Amino acid sequence: MAAVIEVRGLHKTSSGRAVLDIALLHLRAGESYVLSGDNGAGKSTLLRVLAGLEPATVHSYRFRGDELDPARLPSRVRRQIGYVHQHPYMFNASVQANVEYGLRVRGIASGERKARVREALAWAGVQDLAAMPAPQLSGGEQQRVALARLKALSPCVYLLDEPTANLDADGRRRVIELLGRLAGADNVVVIACHDQEVINLPGLVRLHLSEGRLDAAPRNAIAPLRETRIGG
Amino acid sequence: MELWDTTRQALVLLGTGDPELWQIVGVSLRVSLSALLLITAPAIAAGFVLAHVAFPGRRALVVLVQGLLSLPTVVVGLVLYMLLSRQGPLGDWHLLFTQKAMILGQMMLALPVLTAYTVTAVQGADARVFETAVSLGAGGFRAALSTLWEVRFGVMAAVFTGFGRIISEIGCSLMVGGNIAGLTRNMPTAIALETSKGQFAQGVALGIVLLILALGVNVALAALQGQGGMRKAWQP
Amino acid sequence: MFSHATKGVKSGAVGLLLAIAAGLGAAPAPAEPDLRLATTTSTDNSGLLGVLLPKFEAKSGIKVRVIAVGTGKALKLGENGDVDVVLVHSRPDEDRFVAAGFGVNRRDVMYNDFVIVGPAADPAGIRGMQDALGAFRRIAQTGAAFVSRGDDSGTHKLELACWRALGIRPETNPGYRSAGRGMGEVLLMAAELNAYTLTDRATQRALAKKTGLTILVGGDPRLFNPYGIIAVNPQRHADVNFRGAMALVDWITSPEGQQAIADFKVDGEQLFFPDAQK
Repeated sequence: MAAVIEVRGLHKTSSGRAVLDIALLHLRAGESYVLSGDNGAGKSTLLRVLAGLEPATVHSYRFRGDELDPARLPSRVRRQIGYVHQHPYMFNASVQANVEYGLRVRGIASGERKARVREALAWAGVQDLAAMPAPQLSGGEQQRVALARLKALSPCVYLLDEPTANLDADGRRRVIELLGRLAGADNVVVIACHDQEVINLPGLVRLHLSEGRLDAAPRNAIAPLRETRIGG
Repeated sequence: MELWDTTRQALVLLGTGDPELWQIVGVSLRVSLSALLLITAPAIAAGFVLAHVAFPGRRALVVLVQGLLSLPTVVVGLVLYMLLSRQGPLGDWHLLFTQKAMILGQMMLALPVLTAYTVTAVQGADARVFETAVSLGAGGFRAALSTLWEVRFGVMAAVFTGFGRIISEIGCSLMVGGNIAGLTRNMPTAIALETSKGQFAQGVALGIVLLILALGVNVALAALQGQGGMRKAWQP
Repeated sequence: MFSHATKGVKSGAVGLLLAIAAGLGAAPAPAEPDLRLATTTSTDNSGLLGVLLPKFEAKSGIKVRVIAVGTGKALKLGENGDVDVVLVHSRPDEDRFVAAGFGVNRRDVMYNDFVIVGPAADPAGIRGMQDALGAFRRIAQTGAAFVSRGDDSGTHKLELACWRALGIRPETNPGYRSAGRGMGEVLLMAAELNAYTLTDRATQRALAKKTGLTILVGGDPRLFNPYGIIAVNPQRHADVNFRGAMALVDWITSPEGQQAIADFKVDGEQLFFPDAQK
């Protein structure tokens, strides 16, 4: 399967200390990845770099084969990459308006917008909350609304930072259930997580970060540099 | 009983719709609202950039803008007078002693107020707002608007505070407007003039209008702050 | 009526207190209270008071505090008892002030004269006219720009009297600007707007270099401007320094005070002409 995102030679330092030092990362369509590691291992930073929210030096960054600067991704690419904070931010508006935001930004007509919002809310099981002010929801509900907010846009890449952290048992169970249904044939899901239940979900490619380095390469997520050179 | 008599005459003036009085109120509102209308967008944009974009010298610039909050109105008046005077570099514009000159001066006075308050409002915004907007596909401009919308109470407070500053300022209006009857005479300069003439009634009447406006602005501000407080309480 | 009676009683009581204080005068005499003088900007800005008052203070031992405002405000201050004596220049208002019982012992002091100034190019063509009213008429007829003090000052009232004598409503001239400001500001504004204005000679002299405005019409007796001094009525305001006020009135109309006015010159030119004897 083709790599959606391929990054080579990714480095990031903060106050002189290497935060990320990754030789090669392949994210393939149809795969879901779980990115584990201790606190401070660089999980969040890696997701943010991939989302274009934080700068880093890279040797090369390819999106579906196009060589791009991750700090200046063109709008059409950026709109393919969705990112959710560990504590997702809810705009001070209704759940409906929150989910509608990205569709509005894309200039999608009202009728289609409403239909896609309805669909996404139903997918996340939050259709009953549509009229609620989003900031008033519980943490688990907010996480599910945030997932619906992305799902409505059908992006190619989902980057989720600790989606189950700090949730009560019921919220956590519902979010994990959604994570299992997020992956599709054409998209990539990357979940930064140290929740064992998520890590052990079936069918996930497991990546492990420690001190900024990817040190496990199951199922060829991290190919040796040499080998990919031949392949590329 | 001078005070009582004067106040009574003032109320009569207000009640009978004295045309000269309302003409002066009209000049005040036209000048201040025009200045506000013209400066609000650039001032808020500047405030957003100062609060959001890291660039060398940003801190110094923020300190400068906050310092300019207490910019004396007469200093703005003096600088503008020298610029617009016939001997000044902009003398050819023939703007001195016109409403346009007053509008320019009030724009200069409102700019640091609006900018500094916008900086505070945007700095108070959650850092995730802009990132969330961007990761949902918004461009930089749209994400900036969304961030400003999230802190709209603070931004509106900035606009109200700016209006409060310029509607009641006298130094700059007097110097570059010239207090010409029917043309550049606004409420503050008219009050000063009526007092210097010993004609207190019209001064008091205008003072009442100005006071009501200032109070209205402050009530609106307090209402906004109440709203802002509610917004905070919503957050889990 | 009743309030007048109370005031009479009050001032009587104050008089009694003063008498007691005088009786206790063996103790070190309290310093003379300051005298508050409300006057017009023209006398203060020209430097006349700076010459006159030290002479008076040296002679009488009374310190004078000067409040320089327009004639209208000066009289209002007197009316409210906020000052002890007024030195102003608007005869009809002065007479009204005295008639209403706000002031007593009005005396002529001096006069100065007013001139019509304007841009050197003189678009209305009034240069050298002897007749001030004729010049005013020509300004109005040609629609030339004219800046009025517009502040109820003596100068403003003199200007309005001229328009009235001509039967012209000045606001109908599109170039007419009522500024509501002091003489200096109005001269600067006239220079900026290429306009004419009516000014006292002293202020024109002080600002001529800066404004570039020139005297076009002067010397018409209609533009003579008499100053009067009036003590604030102690029957109205018991706490005014009436003794100090009368000391100033007497001194400024005495041969010594009158001579000091005649001797006051700016750049060798006499600006005020004593006329207390008239």
